[in-house]
Amino acid sequence: MKILVADDSRVMRQIVIRTLRQAGYDDHDIVEAEDGRDAYEKVRSEGPDLVLSDWNMPNMTGLECLQALRGSGSTVPFGFVTSEGSAEMREKAADAGALFLIAKPFTADTFTEHLEGVLA
Amino acid sequence: MSDLSDAGLRRRAGDLPPATAELVDEATVCEITEQAWLALVGEDEVLVPLPAPLPAETLSSWVEIVGPWTGAVVLTCGRDTALDLTRALLGEHAPQEVEQEDVDDALGELANVVGGNVKAVLPGPSVLGLPEVGTTPPSGREADSVRVAVLWRGSPLTVRVQSVLAERENEVPL
Repeated sequence: MKILVADDSRVMRQIVIRTLRQAGYDDHDIVEAEDGRDAYEKVRSEGPDLVLSDWNMPNMTGLECLQALRGSGSTVPFGFVTSEGSAEMREKAADAGALFLIAKPFTADTFTEHLEGVLA
Repeated sequence: MSDLSDAGLRRRAGDLPPATAELVDEATVCEITEQAWLALVGEDEVLVPLPAPLPAETLSSWVEIVGPWTGAVVLTCGRDTALDLTRALLGEHAPQEVEQEDVDDALGELANVVGGNVKAVLPGPSVLGLPEVGTTPPSGREADSVRVAVLWRGSPLTVRVQSVLAERENEVPL
């Protein structure tokens, strides 16, 4: 199984990857993307089984990335890991086809709760 | 006469967004910051709510919020503290020599997470900007801000939620 972690912060990508390991997903391949455009391209080239993406990123936001993926026919499971978790953003995420939205700060338990069904 | 003055004051106050302290209190900002620290810096990384003077050389990170309340959430600490925070956030991936790019990234991300959660308790809809880092944070209105001072590993750091509204300065009883 392969997980694509998209965040413009290298530090936050490391924290997400560390939390994935703490949640027990330490045997998955991890691919990193540094913004939405990079994530879009790596979904095409790497074929991940799940995308965990920040929302607010330069060049292309996480939401724009998801919309572009769905527009191109990709059905890759996609979840947001973002510093904002308002009802409005959760609705936008769900409407665009996201499976979940994890608000920062998060814990390993939060990851387990959301990823259990996706990476069974 | 006093009735007229009261009505005038109510009308003027109604034209302005509430003061920052009416929207978010110190306890909430402190709790948000503590949650960010425990989740991102480490589960044993407690913050002690004790004010202490910041060192001469500081670094700040901030995110702007634009909406019914417009302003910034600013995190400030000493340069050494910023380095230690970066090492803690990077964990085992921390290089021997931490580069300024990593410090900016780490400090910016802390402001981003704290700012995102502060935004959630402020009136919306509003937009959160991308984090910025520097020695001179945006000048906010000291009189319309909420400031929290804590110690992390014995070193001081502050979190300020500050409005940029200038109009409030003129809001005085008639």
